[in-house]
Amino acid sequence: MNIDLRAKVQSAYEKNYKKFLIIPVALLLISITVILIQYSKTGEFIHRDISLKGGLSVTINLAKDINFEDLESSLRTNFKDSDFVARKLTDFTTGQITGINIEISGTSEPELKKFLEEKLSIELTSENYSVEDVGAALGSSFFRDLIKSIIFAFLFMSIVVFAVYRKFIPALTVIFTAVTDIIATVAVVDLLGIKISTAGIAAFLLLIGYSIDSDMLLTTKMLRRKNSPAIYEMYNAIRTGLTMTVTTLAALILGLLFSNSIVIKQIFTITLIGLIIDIIATYLGNAPILLWYVKKNENK
Amino acid sequence: MKISKILRKWRVLVLIFALLISIISINYQFDTQGVIIKGVETNSTAALAGISPPSSNLAPTNYEKIISIDGKEITKIEDYTNIITQINNDQTFRIQTNKNLYVLLKTNTSSLGLNVDNVPNSNIKKGLELQGGTRVLLKPTTQVSDQDRDDLISILENRLNTYGLSDVKIKKADDLSGNKYISIEIAGATKAEVKDLVASQGKFEAKISNDIVFEGGKKDITFVCRNDGTCSGIRQCQESVNGQLCTFEFAITLSQEAADKHALITKDLDINVTSQGQKYLSKTLDLYLDDNLMDSLQISSDLKGKATTQIAISGPGIGKDQPEAVQDALKQMNKLQTILITGSLPFKLEIVKIDNISPTLGSQFVKNALLIGIIAILTVALIIFIRYRSLKIVIPVVITQISEVTLMLGFAALFKYNLDLAAIAGIIAAVGTGVDDQIVMIDEIRSKASEAYASSVRDRIKRAFFIIMTAWAVSVASMIPLLRAGAGLLTGFAFTTIVGISVGVFITRPAFAAIVEILMED
Repeated sequence: MNIDLRAKVQSAYEKNYKKFLIIPVALLLISITVILIQYSKTGEFIHRDISLKGGLSVTINLAKDINFEDLESSLRTNFKDSDFVARKLTDFTTGQITGINIEISGTSEPELKKFLEEKLSIELTSENYSVEDVGAALGSSFFRDLIKSIIFAFLFMSIVVFAVYRKFIPALTVIFTAVTDIIATVAVVDLLGIKISTAGIAAFLLLIGYSIDSDMLLTTKMLRRKNSPAIYEMYNAIRTGLTMTVTTLAALILGLLFSNSIVIKQIFTITLIGLIIDIIATYLGNAPILLWYVKKNENK
Repeated sequence: MKISKILRKWRVLVLIFALLISIISINYQFDTQGVIIKGVETNSTAALAGISPPSSNLAPTNYEKIISIDGKEITKIEDYTNIITQINNDQTFRIQTNKNLYVLLKTNTSSLGLNVDNVPNSNIKKGLELQGGTRVLLKPTTQVSDQDRDDLISILENRLNTYGLSDVKIKKADDLSGNKYISIEIAGATKAEVKDLVASQGKFEAKISNDIVFEGGKKDITFVCRNDGTCSGIRQCQESVNGQLCTFEFAITLSQEAADKHALITKDLDINVTSQGQKYLSKTLDLYLDDNLMDSLQISSDLKGKATTQIAISGPGIGKDQPEAVQDALKQMNKLQTILITGSLPFKLEIVKIDNISPTLGSQFVKNALLIGIIAILTVALIIFIRYRSLKIVIPVVITQISEVTLMLGFAALFKYNLDLAAIAGIIAAVGTGVDDQIVMIDEIRSKASEAYASSVRDRIKRAFFIIMTAWAVSVASMIPLLRAGAGLLTGFAFTTIVGISVGVFITRPAFAAIVEILMED
């Protein structure tokens, strides 16, 4: 960026930065609305997968191609009262189908196994068949437990942030940004209809750490400076922060393309969504508030 | 020379030292010929020949390795199986290992007793998802104390070992709501009966009417005959409604106290005579397992009022044809023998989660995780190059990432930590955080010369480390609740993430800063 352009952008930002705040606030409000609508429709804030509400997940390794649509439709007719998701697993490097995964609730494992053996006309053994069977009570208790860990994580994180900065507004802004990240990510995940597993909850926890990196950078640079102007440090922080996020995003996108594990895919997807939201929340939310805070203190 | 200057920095030396320890701990094997001895059954042919089982804390690559049998080279497990089956009974053969030469005699009465596996290529222990196996999560049906649970775990361990499973891990697991669980992991492909074995309370009672004569466990039963054809085995098979029914039978020895009880209860019973002229007591000895009637035995009239210590226990096995029925009867017999030896569990358990992962799926996960790791490192290198256009920056970044992965794997190998899928996700997350920190440092170091508001390099690095340390503290804080949550299912993820980012902050980041600082000097 040449000096002229930078100066123009700088002055434009300085003139309008308070208006930018509308965007993350609106994002937060819309997200809360989305989640509330979801809650009123289904009674739950997120779609839980079998690991958090109980059910079966079976993975079959296949050496042959199958008629996937046919399998899905006969699952639908044979397990009328069950809620299920079927996925094809393919090897990205060869494009070959390597297996199928079915998540289903409201049926028993022997029943499903018998159906699959007949439908696919293969014998399912411990060599080609993996199964995860979660009791409904356990699933719900896991879910409550993980929600508790997210709340604790937020609490611990807030304590660290306050201890480090010892200034009310900057610390609160960092926490507010993290809250926006999590809530907006939940809303996007809801809109996309993604079913969250235990690994997904872990991803949300990871997101707290990741999303806060850029806020820390921004806050530290703008508050712990010597003779440089705040806006100059802010620009440096944005450049560094965006490099960090873009690098992570690129690695996540490629990882998503090549991954064959449902666990890794879910962690990557949630982190990806969260990091994109974090760009908005950090640079249009956290940055303007800090700039306003620094200016107000300078004028005193 | 910059290289020699870099190598003189103590922060770099610490990294090199840590890397060396990791590489030694991982102990990657390029030569994986032969098979390792994973277990030796007590009193088996192999044990008598002097082969000793590996100690439980031995690193996987230090297990005793079988190199040849009778001079024939063993390269993989198939070779071993082929050669062993070709040896005739009552024939001696020689097993050459990397430590010793053993002479064994193959017999048809006792088993060889060797449990072998392919040579592992490193000391990194793969978790359940990566090598296949069964994980069962059990929850007591009633409130229990920690002491109760410890007792239960030792009975379960005994039960599974008596049954013949050696590679079993039983752990306590809790959650944030104070629920107590027991998690059992059994490596490799396992049979369905394991599920029965861990979940059934195993309350065995032998009753005449409503009077208990004896129960399972050491108090009443002093000896259970197993693996000895003269007092245990399949006695007869016959046609049944759904195919074949086979009966197993094995002898047990009762304690004097239980025998006296038998005398007391049978004393007043009448004697019935069957149409064939056999004399039996008027009531049967009913065998109950977990309150289900398993079998009823006729009591011969000459045992009336006698304190007998020798009793034969029998039960059925079913199948659609005879071999299947025999197999089922053998399984049932082994299960019952195990329960009689180890006694019942102090309380009832329910299976709340059961995972069965095939070894095929596991090996696919490993390959895929490696691929993703390589792709992620290359992508990061590319983006860093596009942004900074300097190999002096890209190369240290790549070296740091590879170092971090090596250090984390070394840590796992050194502390015998099982690497599962969640742990791999944790490694990826930690390396990702590492890259973020490196970018912060690069920007701080680079800005020193060209910018108008230059402060000293020391100040800038100090500020970079302040940001990094704060970010580290936040990430650790947000992972701590997960260490205990959800019955330990995500502990691996939380643990590797915390270890990974800590290794990064205290070992690789300081070294990276030193390297880049020197490389950026003019």
